[in-house]
Amino acid sequence: MSSLRAVRERNESAWLIPSDQRRVNAALRDSMRHYDESEEVDLVVVGCGAGGSTLMQRMARHGWKIVGFDAGPFWDPEHDWVSDEAGSHTLYWTDPRTIGGADPVPLGSNNSGRGVGGSMVHYAGYTPRFHPSDFATATNDGVGADWPFDYDALESYYELIEQELPVAGQDWPWGRPHSYPQTAHPVGGNGELFQRGAAALGIETRVGPVAISNGRFGHRPHCIYRGFCLQGCKVNAKASPLITHLPDALAHGVEIRPDTMVTRIGFDERTGRATGVHFIRESEGVERFQPARMVAVAGYSIETPRLLLNSATDRRFPDGMLNDHDLVGRYLMVQGAPQTAARFDAEVRMYKAPPPEVSSEAFYETDPTKPYKRGFSIQTVSPLPITWAEHVSAQGDWGRDLREKMSDYVHWATLGALCELLPQPDNRVTLSEEKDRFGLPVAHFAYTQCENDKQLIEAAGTAMTHILHAAGGTDAITFQRYAHLVGGARMGRTAEDGVVDGDCRAFAVPNLMITDGSVLPTQGSANPALTIMAVAARAADRLAARS
Amino acid sequence: MSAGGRRGDAWQHRFPGFSVVGQSQHWDEATRKVVLARLEPPKPITSLPEEVRPAGVALVAQLVAVDADFAFALLSSIDARLAANETDGWHYDDMPIDHDAWKRSLAGLDEDATRSTGHPFAELTEDEQHEMLECLRTSSAHSWHGMPPARIWNLWTRYVCTAYYAHPSAWDEMGFPGPAYPRGYKNRGVDAREPFEVADRQPHMDPTVSSAP
Ligand SMILES: Cc1cc2nc3c(=O)[nH]c(=O)nc-3n(C[C@H](O)[C@H](O)[C@H](O)COP(=O)(O)OP(=O)(O)OC[C@H]3O[C@@H](n4cnc5c(N)ncnc54)[C@H](O)[C@@H]3O)c2cc1C
Ligand code: SF4
Repeated sequence: MSSLRAVRERNESAWLIPSDQRRVNAALRDSMRHYDESEEVDLVVVGCGAGGSTLMQRMARHGWKIVGFDAGPFWDPEHDWVSDEAGSHTLYWTDPRTIGGADPVPLGSNNSGRGVGGSMVHYAGYTPRFHPSDFATATNDGVGADWPFDYDALESYYELIEQELPVAGQDWPWGRPHSYPQTAHPVGGNGELFQRGAAALGIETRVGPVAISNGRFGHRPHCIYRGFCLQGCKVNAKASPLITHLPDALAHGVEIRPDTMVTRIGFDERTGRATGVHFIRESEGVERFQPARMVAVAGYSIETPRLLLNSATDRRFPDGMLNDHDLVGRYLMVQGAPQTAARFDAEVRMYKAPPPEVSSEAFYETDPTKPYKRGFSIQTVSPLPITWAEHVSAQGDWGRDLREKMSDYVHWATLGALCELLPQPDNRVTLSEEKDRFGLPVAHFAYTQCENDKQLIEAAGTAMTHILHAAGGTDAITFQRYAHLVGGARMGRTAEDGVVDGDCRAFAVPNLMITDGSVLPTQGSANPALTIMAVAARAADRLAARS
Repeated sequence: MSAGGRRGDAWQHRFPGFSVVGQSQHWDEATRKVVLARLEPPKPITSLPEEVRPAGVALVAQLVAVDADFAFALLSSIDARLAANETDGWHYDDMPIDHDAWKRSLAGLDEDATRSTGHPFAELTEDEQHEMLECLRTSSAHSWHGMPPARIWNLWTRYVCTAYYAHPSAWDEMGFPGPAYPRGYKNRGVDAREPFEVADRQPHMDPTVSSAP
């Protein structure tokens, strides 16, 4: 296929990993470039996740000298990851954080990764696009915010990233209709029941879109349908920047410094410019400094605001870097993600497939007949035993009742919704009194739902219950939870309205960028990783064009 | 070590002959090490203070209906997490850090039990323990020993369910084959099974119905 050749020419990552069971190209890592701390590099990137890695890969191709920092390890999937829930806790951000507000949002395994590859190492793998309406909810619906650019500005970047991950799925009828580079995967029991129930009610579903290779892609093998996507894909079938963008970045001279926490952004009060980053290596415990011509922060929606707030300066930024208009940490969003499960006499065995299989965006847009604005999407989710126990115990069961209900696991199918909860200024990160092991104040995340949010969550639970009943399921139960984080340092048209502009450049410091999920002004009801990568790829193009 | 629970509970025998550990030769090395370590004799408890350990064992035994030996093993794995500060990555701002919340809540159980019966929690009958815990679970009080009861319940069940449902004997009981790499699954779909999976012999035993008294 000629399009495969085009992918390889612009991003060779999938061809740079070994084709056998060794999941890591050791030679590539061993020969990685190392920059001296006395040398000013062109760019340092804080966080090697979805946004940070995409930016690095793109700018390395323009010949930039780059160092990428990540607080967590440089993973080796074969040796570091396990096919086991409890054994996978090292993938999550488990350094302390505190949560509050009227509807506190649990963090860690629910939404925050740690290590090279970022949260996509343990994300599920759904990669839908946003809809055109997501870019102008303030104008169209009178809620949320407008982006500084529209869907058209992002469309070609969606296409590029979808080819590089690559994404498998059926032709997509919602938002701006489009197709995917790979055909859809076969579905398992959970997906089958979702399709059956939705069809009975006349609700459209589609298989995908998932960033899980359907067939060989470069040297990456086909998915083996083992269901442990959230524990890190040992097979290298599920996309994360560790295998989709960083191998190519390394081959183009990027240095990755894993197990290294960036503690503060360096700043020159005289010139008003960022000078580099202060950092602590896990193995050393002392603070060092890496000078750079440009700094990009990509630590995700909790750690990015925390780092900016921890980088306050005496004169220019006494309330936190880039915080002139009290926007840093605000408008942080999560999606309401209720999960509804129902019982079938047949065996569903929902663990036997990637949890992401089938979706519906039939409820995505504002429905004028409803009292609420915006909408939700519905997707298959397939909780493994520990997560399933959380569902069951949330119904009030414990002891023998819990054990008995858990013994029924193979009979249950589970759907999850993603509800577009609205951006609100008081849903925010601030610094807590509590300190982490480096002595840095930890993040406090306050979250409270508004009335629209509550109505959406309720409607989504009802829709999923109807679908499962229509499929023949009984005893439906709904478990309330949240998924994904975006916002916290949003982009805007002006400095009063955003921390960065549409090119991810800080309004207040000319050589500082933010290129991760925290810049998103709204979240739609789509999973965010694809959009985060597309926004970063666009920002890289704009940066290269300016330089 | 085996899961406790009263003998003759039909739900413990839905997947006859199914043994997750019996398939461990099909797992990858990294996973095998992590999972099989859970079958080793439990490590001594070092982090939770001695005086709250009996209450801890009794609490765990109640929450997942296991015998005292198994409960000790689960508490020991919880203790290891608390010692290493291996949390879920967050705590409520109206709660102390997890380690202190565990310590204080276990001491609270003993205090309450002693006040009402003159005996510590571990020495109450199983029914008395059950009643005390159910009261706490359904309590609408703002504060119990300085912490919201709902948050305490959430903390306990999160840690205890994680420990119990990480154990291969728990997977045997629910027909879940556990680790699946590098073998993967070939027969997917409703009512499809791999050769190594065992059919539920009580598919109509809907616990949401049968557990009603
Ligand atoms: C369980 C789970 C399921 C998910 N499912 C999906 C899904 O199906 N589809 C989807 O689109 N999205 C999903 N997501 C969300 C998705 O993974 C994230 O939205 C996305 O990865 C965020 O990208 P990012 O670049 O903003 O940050 P991340 O990818 O999280 O990268 C941030 C990186 O920065 C590092 N870092 C942070 N602070 C510092 C510091 N001070 N110094 C050094 N390093 C630092 C972190 O270690 C981390 O590696 C899921 C997430 C989780 C946890
Ligand atoms: S189901 Fe497929 S994509 Fe998911 S972890 Fe297993 S092999 Fe990887």
